[in-house]
Amino acid sequence: MKRPEARDPEAADKWEVQLRKGCLELAILASLWDGKLYGLEILRRLESDSDLIVSEGTVYPLLSRLKALGLAQSEWVESDAGHPRKYYALTSVGRQRVREMAGMWTRFSESMTRLLAPLVKGNK
Amino acid sequence: MTMSGNAQSNVPSDAQKKIETYLSKLRQSLRGLNDQDAREIIEELRSHIIEKSATGGQITIAAVGAALAGLGAPEDLASQYTTDKLLARAEVSRSPFRILKSLFRWASLSIAGFFVLLGSFLGYFFGAVLMLVAVLKLIHPRTAGLWIFPKANGELDISFRLGFGSIPAAGRDVLGWWIVPLGWIAGSALVMLTTSIAVWFVRQYRKSLVLPQG
Repeated sequence: MKRPEARDPEAADKWEVQLRKGCLELAILASLWDGKLYGLEILRRLESDSDLIVSEGTVYPLLSRLKALGLAQSEWVESDAGHPRKYYALTSVGRQRVREMAGMWTRFSESMTRLLAPLVKGNK
Repeated sequence: MTMSGNAQSNVPSDAQKKIETYLSKLRQSLRGLNDQDAREIIEELRSHIIEKSATGGQITIAAVGAALAGLGAPEDLASQYTTDKLLARAEVSRSPFRILKSLFRWASLSIAGFFVLLGSFLGYFFGAVLMLVAVLKLIHPRTAGLWIFPKANGELDISFRLGFGSIPAAGRDVLGWWIVPLGWIAGSALVMLTTSIAVWFVRQYRKSLVLPQG
């Protein structure tokens, strides 16, 4: 039987991918908190304000799903750029949901920070 | 929804052709969606590609290529839209046909989906057989039903017969007319149970992923 490697970089990469994926829905909903944005603006907001590396091919289907779940709504708006843009905004259900998710995230991250404090101190 | 093509006048023809080829492939792969949904997706992505390609100023074929690379292969992108829609429909559906269609899609993505499909197929199949025997008993009262046949080695062979063919020799119709209510109740209960279990699995699967793929 193959013994598990003590240090498996592939497993660490997979864990990081799953961690980022798990945060993506919250990150997109949070990016819409202050007002409506279109797809490319959401992507730019995520790039500038978070550590998430997000591909366009992931965000657009996810926006479609958030809309289908009733958490976001969309409207087409003509732009100065000469082509219409599809703007997304939170629905009242979406605002409630992102508030709950943010609360869960804060409690979770605080407890993890407490748990990890000895490791972080030890690394210094 | 209003769509405008005037931005496309700034796009060189070779870049435009590249965009349209990509969107055409995407459109083909979005066949599972209704026209309105597919059109919205295409127009949103067209808008994205043009704006992303224009980030550096002039739209060039290289910039369009980079924007398309960010979206990934059209088939993979379409699959993310269609799979989720199909599973979302299955979640609220009570139609065995629609659920099986969604499970076929899931089965093409993961081994877990394959086993859920297999279990659901068996559940629906036996449910349908029970209901069918119950109905056919009314048409073929002497031959349809749950029969037991003694085999040469002394064992018993139990089978549901739909009533076609001759009356089995040495066989015994176990339930008689009881197959009508019992078959109907057991068959519909099995179909409903299969539906509930399949929908539960689909719900867990959708919850476990941000997106069905990737």
